[in-house]
Amino acid sequence: MLLSRVTKPARYINGEWNAVHKDAASVRARLALVYPDVYEVGMSHLGLQILYHVLNSTSDFAAERAFAPWPDMEFELRSRGLALTSLESRTPLREFDAIGITLPYELTYTNILNVLDLAGVPIRSSERGADDPIVIGGGPGAVNPEPVADFFDAILVGEGEEAIAEIARAVAGADRAGALDGLAQIPGVYVPGLYETSHAGAGPRGRVIPRNDAPARVERRIVEDLDGAPFPTCQIVPFLETVHARATLEIMRGCARGCRFCQAGSVYRPRRERSLSTLLRQAEETLAATGYDEVSLLAFTSVDYSCIENLAAELVERFGERGVGIALPSLRADAFSVALANKIQQVRKTGLTFAPEAATARLRRVIGKQMDEHDLFAAADAAFSLGWYRLKLYFMIGLPTETDEDVMAIGDLVQRLVHFGRGVLGSRRNRLRIGVSVATFVPKPHTPLQWAQQDGRGDLERKHGMLQGALRGRHIKLSWSDPGASAVEAAISRGDRRVGEAIEAAWRAGARFDSWGEHFDFARWEAAFQEAGLRIEEYANAPLAYDEELAWDHISCGPDRAALRVEAEKAVGGGGD
Amino acid sequence: MAQFVCRYRKAEQVRWISHLDLKRTLERAMRRAALPLELTKGYNPHPKLSLGPPLPLGATGEAELLALHLRESMDPGELKERLNRQLPPGLEVVEAWILPGHRKKETFGNVDVADYRIVVSNGMDGEELGDRVRRLMESESLPIRRGGDRPEREVDVRPHILSLEIAREEPHEIELHALLKTGSHGGVRPQEVVSLLKLDESGRVVRYHRAGIYASAEEPAAHRTGVWRRWTRARASRGRSQSL
Repeated sequence: MLLSRVTKPARYINGEWNAVHKDAASVRARLALVYPDVYEVGMSHLGLQILYHVLNSTSDFAAERAFAPWPDMEFELRSRGLALTSLESRTPLREFDAIGITLPYELTYTNILNVLDLAGVPIRSSERGADDPIVIGGGPGAVNPEPVADFFDAILVGEGEEAIAEIARAVAGADRAGALDGLAQIPGVYVPGLYETSHAGAGPRGRVIPRNDAPARVERRIVEDLDGAPFPTCQIVPFLETVHARATLEIMRGCARGCRFCQAGSVYRPRRERSLSTLLRQAEETLAATGYDEVSLLAFTSVDYSCIENLAAELVERFGERGVGIALPSLRADAFSVALANKIQQVRKTGLTFAPEAATARLRRVIGKQMDEHDLFAAADAAFSLGWYRLKLYFMIGLPTETDEDVMAIGDLVQRLVHFGRGVLGSRRNRLRIGVSVATFVPKPHTPLQWAQQDGRGDLERKHGMLQGALRGRHIKLSWSDPGASAVEAAISRGDRRVGEAIEAAWRAGARFDSWGEHFDFARWEAAFQEAGLRIEEYANAPLAYDEELAWDHISCGPDRAALRVEAEKAVGGGGD
Repeated sequence: MAQFVCRYRKAEQVRWISHLDLKRTLERAMRRAALPLELTKGYNPHPKLSLGPPLPLGATGEAELLALHLRESMDPGELKERLNRQLPPGLEVVEAWILPGHRKKETFGNVDVADYRIVVSNGMDGEELGDRVRRLMESESLPIRRGGDRPEREVDVRPHILSLEIAREEPHEIELHALLKTGSHGGVRPQEVVSLLKLDESGRVVRYHRAGIYASAEEPAAHRTGVWRRWTRARASRGRSQSL
């Protein structure tokens, strides 16, 4: 028996509450929605649940799910010659009309190739025939589709809840050529096969040029009316404990803060809110349909929602007695946020997370992070006074214009916070814990810092050493991202179509689940880039010039190149607003 | 405030759900059913729910037990109906009782015997297996090594195997019935019995089903007049229980 031989067999069973089972014969098109990571990660992704709900609430279409099998399951499937199937009806993925795959993050891309291969679908679009499903991508990674362009027949750029039905209609009943023609007509859909690429030297310099009458620029899709947009209140309730096992409300999309490193902040503009009455109704429906005991108020910065206090108070009043907790996944570092968190989390004081990103005011101005050190200390003061003992702080290193003093300032800031926290906590000071998470700056397309280079691995390791020395102490727990993984992330993030060959070479060499530290192997990726005739450094560590043509220029995501450049020049000129 | 005990079935569709995940699944079903759940006080309120002894991952069971507190009493039949409407396929409440007059949280701590049906398929000779079963039951002691994450230690499981017999024999399938001690005062897992019979080689499919769980010893005072006893008797009268 297959399931007795794998870890967490519940990853591969179906029948979760609110999963939809439709008769294949009753619909015009069947779509498999794939998240290229393991089940419990994929099931925490709201986007997947939204698309599943939109498609299944029509009578014309059926959507089923599939996830990347863990290596032990992959071994079982391959050694028995079994094809990867959907969860709901156990239909082999290659029998669907279309396979929709989320592009969540660069280090999941080898899993995409693995899923296609396990499904028995040729990994390259050019090798697929009339009987193969149409393979469509979408999600955050679509804003630079080039590194995966050869593996997809079409890629949706931008938000999917309105476009997904148009995509399903284009696929329904059409042959392969007809479906691709239809998809190319849908605003926001990029059909890579209709474009040629030319490269201008090393790195992502070059152009993507339309053949025939394909549009020169693909405009990202955006939902104008978030309040009226479809939202799944009958969310699937996994048996397996997932990363976020709770009811999710999307209170706001987009962010008005304008941090210059942040791709999501850049490409999900403008900021849109759901109304208080809609959210209260959705909370009621979601809790009733799922039985969860926690509601998460999802937004890039939940406390920036304009009626956050009213919303929180109403939710506590309506659901508090039933033991339902409320989670704010993203806080601002100030006293207001902590007071609000305190109001709604009377019972569950798990820990608070703030993201100063940089430890000096100068560097925060460069990256456009609006945070004042005074506010951070006020937030810490409030937190320690109100009963929290644990803080988590997010920093980045390798930021443009960063000096060693900026890096050492992280140590200084954290040590001052420790000292301050011990003072506020008094006799309870031994319980103080400050988690310091240090990420590597990754230049991302469509942000003002897209032209900047990432620090080399040597530099990053030296800076990690400095931080290790500066962040000693029993109250502090330091963690950082692997410099090799950050380099690969940057190289794919700013990759062009040639990088796809490196991704394929890495996958053929055994790369899977690269975002899981235990599976990542930098040497394998170096060899893979080499095999493709490329070097990771050309993409990750070289600065780009403002006037160079870049591999993602044909994708339009809101702020145009001129606007990004104005911000970029402000940044290196010392910040300013 | 009232406490209820339910006997439920964990069938094929959900046999790969772990005990902890099962508990969460039941809690969520209870919330969906809008039952007046009694919540624990303090740090992290959750329903007052306890489950009987865990099933091994991959096993099915038809006599699983849960106990829960409600803020107000209700008809046990209604409780069963409301819960069943919210349970995913493969989980079903078969019977529900109200525990009269005693408010201490039922934890099934006195459950210490389990009746397993073990079905072995793929090329096992019935006569050969019969011999192995006989030799095993005639052994004075059956030491096995247990470890997991902790240092290995040797345990004699012979006293924990109360009975073991071949109940059904077909060309490609043999069914064993095993009455095994379980619980916190020592016991043996059905997989360990299968391993002792050398049935766990690859290629052979072994399925586990728990048909009943029992309390062998004198019941604690709290249970003497409760439905717990009624339930045990009911099971016994259906002939599924064996004399202990």
